[in-house]
Amino acid sequence: MGLAVRKSNVPVLGDEPIRIGSGGGFWGDRPLAPLDLLKSDDLDYLMIDYLAELTLSIMTKQKRRAPSSGWATDLELWLAAGGIHTLRKKSVKLVTNAGGANPESCARMVLEQANKIGWHECKVAVISGDDILPRLDYLLENGEEFAHFESGEKISENGAEMMSANAYLGAGPIASALEIGADIIITGRVADASLLVGCMLHSAGWAHNAFQLGLTRESPVADWAPENVRNPLDILAQWTVAGHLIECGAQVSGGNYSNWGDVPNLATLTLPIAEIYSDGVVKITRGQGGGGMVNRGIVAEQLVYEIGDPAAYITPDVVVDMRNITLEDESEDMVVVTGAIGKPEPESLKVSAAIEGGWFAASSLLVSGPDALGRATACDAALRGRLSALEELEIYTEFIGGGVSLPENIRQRVSSTLNPPEVLLRWAVSSTNKQDITDFSREVAPLVLTGPAGVGGYGARPKPRRQLQFWPSLISRKSIEPFVRVELLTHLRITQESERFHFIRKRTRGILSRLQDELDDREWTRPIVKKLGWESNDADAEVTNLQEKEVES
Amino acid sequence: MSDVIWIPLSDLAHGRSGDKGDAFNIGLIAHQKNWIELLENAVTPELLGEWYGDSVSGLISVWPMPGIGAINCLLRGGLGGGGTTSLMLDAQGKIWGQSILRMRVPVNKKRATELGVTLDNHSEDQWDLSHLC
Repeated sequence: MGLAVRKSNVPVLGDEPIRIGSGGGFWGDRPLAPLDLLKSDDLDYLMIDYLAELTLSIMTKQKRRAPSSGWATDLELWLAAGGIHTLRKKSVKLVTNAGGANPESCARMVLEQANKIGWHECKVAVISGDDILPRLDYLLENGEEFAHFESGEKISENGAEMMSANAYLGAGPIASALEIGADIIITGRVADASLLVGCMLHSAGWAHNAFQLGLTRESPVADWAPENVRNPLDILAQWTVAGHLIECGAQVSGGNYSNWGDVPNLATLTLPIAEIYSDGVVKITRGQGGGGMVNRGIVAEQLVYEIGDPAAYITPDVVVDMRNITLEDESEDMVVVTGAIGKPEPESLKVSAAIEGGWFAASSLLVSGPDALGRATACDAALRGRLSALEELEIYTEFIGGGVSLPENIRQRVSSTLNPPEVLLRWAVSSTNKQDITDFSREVAPLVLTGPAGVGGYGARPKPRRQLQFWPSLISRKSIEPFVRVELLTHLRITQESERFHFIRKRTRGILSRLQDELDDREWTRPIVKKLGWESNDADAEVTNLQEKEVES
Repeated sequence: MSDVIWIPLSDLAHGRSGDKGDAFNIGLIAHQKNWIELLENAVTPELLGEWYGDSVSGLISVWPMPGIGAINCLLRGGLGGGGTTSLMLDAQGKIWGQSILRMRVPVNKKRATELGVTLDNHSEDQWDLSHLC
């Protein structure tokens, strides 16, 4: 059974590699950089990871204050600055977790951008179901414990309220969104590397094959491989490594490199591109026209970035053994990556949650003159003395310029020989009591007048901020995967002349019948949501039905 | 004279670090792939424990990655609670991958010479920290 909805512009993996660019490394990275990459290079996909470990906690807070917020607004910046036009013109599919805590609102913004430039047929997929906060009580009653990764403490033992809780989804939902014709995919929490793996499941024909075999969307993606793929787990491992290598943006194209002096023109650093070949070989290169560099040493640094045991780099799709990965400089700015070994997907998914912590503030002063370190020490002692009655207040002092980047015991060994001309004295404080933080904030600036000589650089009193405490844990796949939703947002565009209009007139209920009254002689468009599923092996029929079953957005 | 001399880690490897909750990892890549034997012998959990002292409270693991001539070190309990609750300015442990390059590591002088490692900055003393000042 074929899949009728496959589009002709689908990037298909053949003799030529699939080219996937990375638009940045986190929400806060250079916001317009994706534009440069889109313009300078020909890509099949652009992926952007906007979510660091705790970004979602912040977004969840934002959504609580304003229901249409809670997503990475940097996406709108570059789409509105011409990005949406370039995506359309160059047929590049965008896959990003910019949706954060509110993928649907983010997708509506994207659809609006598309509509503004007349791209009415643009299809934006929304992948959700990662947010488990609404189902938390049910999950707890059904045996999920959310035991902390490091301490083993169960969330019920801690008793704290979860502010956000999101499971890391895998590549499957992304691939099925592409399979039903999505141009742009907006997700919430998805494992970083899975953004790329989802593209490849689609382009390499695995998702199409899974449809034909009648596999469910929840089935292990390794089972989706066509019969002629001999080592699907290793291929998945290679794709995952490619995703891992480019998900931090320019960190693999010359940024944050130990040999920073060798990197040409950091000012115009270009973003990385992964080229994926049909045999699983991955090549890492970078955008044309700017500064930066890709070599074996740079790719090696990114391979080891934020990993644990290299024998088991775990994603929802596959467990990767990185130990025998090799890197080869093929040509200037082109590194070949081979040798990743895949093991079956893990039984559990990771959950990133945040619980509310105490209050926090930070402030600093500049101290200079002969014996600057001694003056800074006296200044710190004065502050601590003035706040000594506050028993719950924790004060952490850093003498920047006095060796803070050395471990404490090393700093002590060299302290007698350190004589910096100035020290930036930085305090960070926390307390369960907000008033303690306010009291601290009032004691910093007075030190300019009431401390040792040579103290300056004071600013406004810092405001107390609530801390969030990171709470990582595991959850069973069956508690998550059946609840993942893939929806397609698009514009319904109808004129009185269109056949569609006469079809709609026959309908008696819902938004489409009301349309009859609103429709004048001009065209009518409004955003709609198409519910699309992949629940049965009758996928074709279901998609066709759903295409006609528009629901009110 | 001892067979073992102490060289700054920067003469043997380069690295990158990042956070994982309250842990941080440091990946160290030998400047030349065949220097991995020196790197593996030199940078042990014990040596890292001596360098970090009380600044790291949990278990330290070191794993080899022979394919790229690297080791990966995971240091638990080193970020003052991690990410959002840490009071440290660098709560994500981004700097440790560079600052550790100033740690002295032991290498066999004969073997290191054979492999072409720069020994210009060597010392007989692990705690010769004159290169820091």
